[in-house]
Amino acid sequence: MSTNTVASRMERARNGVGVSGGGSINPRKKKRISPRTWTLVAFAAPSLFLLVLLNLYPVIYAGIQSVRDGDLINPGNFVGLQNYTDVLTSRSFWNATRFTLIFTIVGVFGSWMVGLGLALLLRTKVPGGGFFKVLLLLPWVVPVVVSATSWNWLVATPQSPLPMLAQSLGMGNVLFLADPVLAQVTVCIFKVWVSFPFMMMMMSSALASVDINVYEAAKMDGATNWQAFTGITMPLISRSTYISWILMTIFCVNDFPTIFLLTGGGPVDATTSLVVLAYRTVFQNFQTGPGVAIAFIMTLVLVIVSVVLYRQIRKVNVE
Amino acid sequence: MSSVTVGHSLSTVSTTNRARKPDPASRGQWWRFGLILTITAIVLVPIASVVLLSLQPSLGSTTTADWTIENYATVFERTNVARWMANSLSVTLVTVLISVIVAAPAGYVLSRSRSKLVSGYSLVLFVVQSLPIVTAIIPLFILFAQLQLVDSLVGITIIYVGSTMSVAIWMMAAYYDSIPITLEEAAWMDGCSVFGSFTRVVLRNSLPGVLSTAIFSFLLAWNDYLVAVVFLRSNDNFTLQIGLQSFFQQNATNWGLVMTVAVLMMLPPVILFIFLNKHFSVGGIGGSLAGR
Repeated sequence: MSTNTVASRMERARNGVGVSGGGSINPRKKKRISPRTWTLVAFAAPSLFLLVLLNLYPVIYAGIQSVRDGDLINPGNFVGLQNYTDVLTSRSFWNATRFTLIFTIVGVFGSWMVGLGLALLLRTKVPGGGFFKVLLLLPWVVPVVVSATSWNWLVATPQSPLPMLAQSLGMGNVLFLADPVLAQVTVCIFKVWVSFPFMMMMMSSALASVDINVYEAAKMDGATNWQAFTGITMPLISRSTYISWILMTIFCVNDFPTIFLLTGGGPVDATTSLVVLAYRTVFQNFQTGPGVAIAFIMTLVLVIVSVVLYRQIRKVNVE
Repeated sequence: MSSVTVGHSLSTVSTTNRARKPDPASRGQWWRFGLILTITAIVLVPIASVVLLSLQPSLGSTTTADWTIENYATVFERTNVARWMANSLSVTLVTVLISVIVAAPAGYVLSRSRSKLVSGYSLVLFVVQSLPIVTAIIPLFILFAQLQLVDSLVGITIIYVGSTMSVAIWMMAAYYDSIPITLEEAAWMDGCSVFGSFTRVVLRNSLPGVLSTAIFSFLLAWNDYLVAVVFLRSNDNFTLQIGLQSFFQQNATNWGLVMTVAVLMMLPPVILFIFLNKHFSVGGIGGSLAGR
């Protein structure tokens, strides 16, 4: 027991600042801290260490780097808010913001609707339902590099299968990835294709908690299917729906490979999201300051949004 | 808290529901079957094309057969694919191992302890999860350059472990929530320490939770592109992601060979998922997120 305590004490000393942030474990306030508390601190310590090193430190560093004019090797000089004003007044930043919003809204609601629809279908008795369920999860399981390669084969050139199909249906020459608007639509559909299985899983487990007998009762009272859906199903799965929207919003805003591997951000930056823009600014144009500033603005917005949403989830939970 | 167990009981619910008897609703059943069959077929077109293309003779092939596995021999001969695969596998397996070892005790804290500090910890996890990886990558690149960890598999493994952390902890916590605390209380009565009850009682009953976390970490590490593309430079250190990408750029028109590498790449996660999907539940994330 004693060695355990010593070990955890050392752990805590090493990570002391991170752990005692809230200050409720205060050695002077309470006379003795129980062995249980020490064990729990030791349990959390390695994860805290990793979180500080791999998440907190980089964000702080990025914040510092965003007010300097350095590159990947030199830290550079302090330039104040120059990078931020450069970024916020540039056209490419606002274009990227616009596309990020479109991509996120379509990604979240598109995949939610498809996922919920399939979850509802699969909840009922269907021959081979379990088999379909596994098959439908594949787009989410297959690496994006693979599916992007495959989508490229399907749509990229005029000789690809889908443009050929469109042509034979009399729609003319459809350039899925060369026309700016069509490229945006294609990327959004690709994102929905990749993400709907996640929504399907979330919604399936939410639906499984809804008691089937409630529907029988509602039918007796003469409710239509649609009324049963809006009146019973939706309220009962609202919390899971809300959580899944929040998670998917985060996934979409932070998504890099889905966009980058299909279009590389083009044509003419039409599908450049904020993450892609930050990546290109740093690793292709080698402008670390502005690139980090873009990422930092995104981070700031996401942190504020996620703290607000986190509070909101907990409120929904209490009700 | 009820939603936490839902994911795990899901499979049993659906099997008991599926009594195979032709009932009055069976016509609707076949209608739905047709609908799902159609949707599944459309959804799987991109994946099926990868497999089919890999089995057809590629550019410059001398076979006259319609179907061949020649591409598979060719890619192993002509590319570094065996090396890339070994790299991907070792990076992924080490990531899975470390994230489970770190997340299992951390999730226990989140599940069993109620204090301001733990709420703060939970909030930190949530915020960390929402940070764009691209922000973290630039500073980590600079730091790792000093530590000689750029273009190293160790370097990307460390980053993968960091990025699995918060979801892995939630998943473990969600599973622990479904284990009644009375089991531990009994162990404590017998003089067992918290650490003892954790390893002997809780962990022993948490195999599904561990599996779920392991599958999640596996998918994240195996499927990552951004970290690998920034950090890996030399061909011998490529993971399959970057290997496939570079091969695609050099042989863009030779679809047969490109798709063969793609099949090799999607095989491990697909096989893993087909065998273990019963144990995988994301529903728990929501419950664990909202429960605190």
